[in-house]
Amino acid sequence: MLFVSCTIIVIFILTFYIWHQMESIRIGYEIGKLEEKVLTLGRQVDELQAEKSSLLSLDRVEKIAKEELNLVEPKKEQLVYDEFIP
Amino acid sequence: MSIFYQKRARMRIIILGFFFMIWLVGLTIRLLQLQVFEHPRLKTEVLEQNQNRNTIHPKRGTIYDCTGNILARSLPIQSVFFSPFKGEPSHLQLEKIKKLKKILNLSENELQNIYKRIKRNASFIWIKRKVDPEQEEKVRRLFLSGIYFLEENKRFYPHGKLAAHLLGRVNIDDIGASGIEYKYNSVLEGKKGEHLILRDAKKREYRFEILKEPEAGKDLILTIDETIQYYAEKELEKAMLKTGASWGTVIISQPSSGEILAMANYPTGDLNNPPPMPLLLDRNKAIHHNFEPGSTFKIITASAALEARKVNLNDSFDCSKGFIRVAGKTIRDHELFGVLSFPEVIIHSSNVGTIQFGQLIGEEIFFKTIRAFGFGQKTGIDLPAEEKGIFRPLDNWTNISASSLSIGYEISVTATQMLQAINAIANKGFIISPKVVKKILNSPDIATEKPYRRRIISERTALLLTSILQKVVQRGTGITARIRDYKVAGKTGTTQKFDPSIGGYSSTVHTSSFVGFVPADNPVLSMVVVIDEPKGPYSGGEVAAPVFREIASLVLRHLHIPKQEEQLNTIIAEGRLRQVER
Repeated sequence: MLFVSCTIIVIFILTFYIWHQMESIRIGYEIGKLEEKVLTLGRQVDELQAEKSSLLSLDRVEKIAKEELNLVEPKKEQLVYDEFIP
Repeated sequence: MSIFYQKRARMRIIILGFFFMIWLVGLTIRLLQLQVFEHPRLKTEVLEQNQNRNTIHPKRGTIYDCTGNILARSLPIQSVFFSPFKGEPSHLQLEKIKKLKKILNLSENELQNIYKRIKRNASFIWIKRKVDPEQEEKVRRLFLSGIYFLEENKRFYPHGKLAAHLLGRVNIDDIGASGIEYKYNSVLEGKKGEHLILRDAKKREYRFEILKEPEAGKDLILTIDETIQYYAEKELEKAMLKTGASWGTVIISQPSSGEILAMANYPTGDLNNPPPMPLLLDRNKAIHHNFEPGSTFKIITASAALEARKVNLNDSFDCSKGFIRVAGKTIRDHELFGVLSFPEVIIHSSNVGTIQFGQLIGEEIFFKTIRAFGFGQKTGIDLPAEEKGIFRPLDNWTNISASSLSIGYEISVTATQMLQAINAIANKGFIISPKVVKKILNSPDIATEKPYRRRIISERTALLLTSILQKVVQRGTGITARIRDYKVAGKTGTTQKFDPSIGGYSSTVHTSSFVGFVPADNPVLSMVVVIDEPKGPYSGGEVAAPVFREIASLVLRHLHIPKQEEQLNTIIAEGRLRQVER
C-alpha cells in the first residue's frame, strides 16, 4: 500500500515537474513573441509619428489650406490675443 | 564439421578481421586527420559557411524642435547583401546579381564593384544599401540563395528642407556629416551591437544570439521653433526670389537666453533628397560666411562713444559737405545732410557723422569695445566650423582703420556675431552666447555647451542706444521695418562689396542687412537679415528691413505678444531716455 502511494506521489511530482517545465518553456516563447511584438509596435509608433510630423508640415498644411480649402490669412483687426506669453 | 571446413572458416575470419582492421586503421587515420591535424582549418571553413556575425546598428537619436515636433528621426530599413556559398562558381554568382540589376536600379559602376568583389572571392558583398520596402519585397520573392537582408537605419527628415543647413545631414553609414548631426554625432549615434547567426548545412537559421546589445543614441531638443523657422524660410525665399540675390540668411533668437529660434538660409535643399552637390547643405552662411557689416556696425561705434562718454545726445556733427576725407581717402554719405545731432547721425546712417564721433573714441577703447562685443572671435554657438570673422589686432591698424571700422568696413563678421551684438543691446548690456541645443534627453551627465553671460556695456548706454534704434525704425533708414502696434529697434546696413578685379569696393554689388529686436522695451525676439548681391534696389532699408518686418509680424502673432499702446510706449521710452540722460 505504502509502495503504491509513494509511486503515485512520485508520478504526480514528476508529472507536475514536466508540466511546469513545459509551461515555463511555453510562457518563455510567449514572452519572446510579445517582446518582438512590442519592438515591432514601437517601430510602427516611430514611423507613424514621423509620418504624422511629415503630414503636418507647415508648407503642406498651408498649401492645402490655400489651394484646396481656399482659406486666407487673417487680417490684423481680426486677431484677438487671449493671453500674454513672453 | 570436418577439419577442412574448420580451417577454411578460420581463414575467412582472419581475412575478414584483417580487412576490418585495415578499415578501422583507415577510419582512425581519417578521424585523426579531420579532428586533429586539419581541425583548425576545417572549423574556420564551417564557421565561415554557417556562422554570421553581424553588426546591429543602434537607432540614432531623434532631433526635436522646442515644441516637441520631430525634425529628424531614424527609421529601420533593409539593405541587401550577397554571401555566396564556398566554392560557388562565379558565373552562377553573377547570374544572381544580374537578376537584381533592374529591381534595385543598379548602375554600371555599382555592378562593376560587385563583380570585382565576386572575383576576389569576398564572403560579404553589399548589393544595395537602404532599399525601398517595394524593392525589398520584390527581391525577397526571388528566393535567391546567398542573398540576405540586413536591417539598418535611414535618417528621415519629416519637413524636408526645413532647417536643412542647421540640422545637417548624415552619410550612408549614419554618421553626421554637417550641422547638428555632425556636432552632436557622438551623442546621437549610440553604440553598435553585434549578433551571431548559426545556420545548418541547408543554410537554415537554428540559433540567433545577441553578443552585444546596441545602445540607442540620445535624443536632442533644439531651441528652434518649427513654426518660426518656417516663417523665416518662407519670407526669406520670397525676398530672394523678388530681389534675385545670390544668397541670404536670417537668424532669429530670444535675446534674454541667446536661444536661436530660427536659422534660415537660401538657397537650400531637401535633406531627404540631397542635391547632387551636398556641399550646398553643408555651408551654413549664418555661421560660415564672413561679410563686411557696413552701417549695422555703427551700433558698436555708437556704443563705444557713449560708453566712453565721448559724446552726448546733444552733440552735433557737420555733415553738410556730404563727404569726409580721412588719410587721403574720401568717404561719402548716401545723401546730403546738414548738421546732425548724435542720434540723428545713427537714425539717418550718416557715414560722415559716424566717422566724426568715431574719431573721438580713441583707437584702444574702440578696439576693446569691438572685442567685447565678440568680433574677431567665435560666438561659441554649438554648431560645427563656426567662422570667427576677420578683425585685425590694434598693432596692424592703419591711420584710416578707426574711420573705416566706425562705418563697418575693414572688419568681417558672421551673421551670428551681429545677432550676438544686437542681443547685448536688447539685454541692456549683457552679452550672451547663442545656442541651438536646449537639452539632451535622458542624459543628465552630458552637458550641452555652457553659455556665457557677461556685461560689456552699461545699462545706460544700452538704453540710450535702444531709444536711438527705435527712432531709426520710426523715421530713419529702417522705416520699412516698422510694425504697426509694436515698437521696433533696429539698424540697416548696406555694404559695397570688395571687388578683387578692380582692387577696390564695387559700386554695383552690395550686401544688404538689418539687425533689430522687438518689442524694443521688453524684447522677445531679435533678428538679423543678410541678403547678398540683390539685383535692383540694394539698400538695407529696401531689401533686408522689409524681411524683418514680415517675419517679426508673423512671429509676434505666433508668440501671442499683445499689441503695444504706441502713445504710452513713446512717452515711457522718452521718459526713460530723459531719466537715463540725467
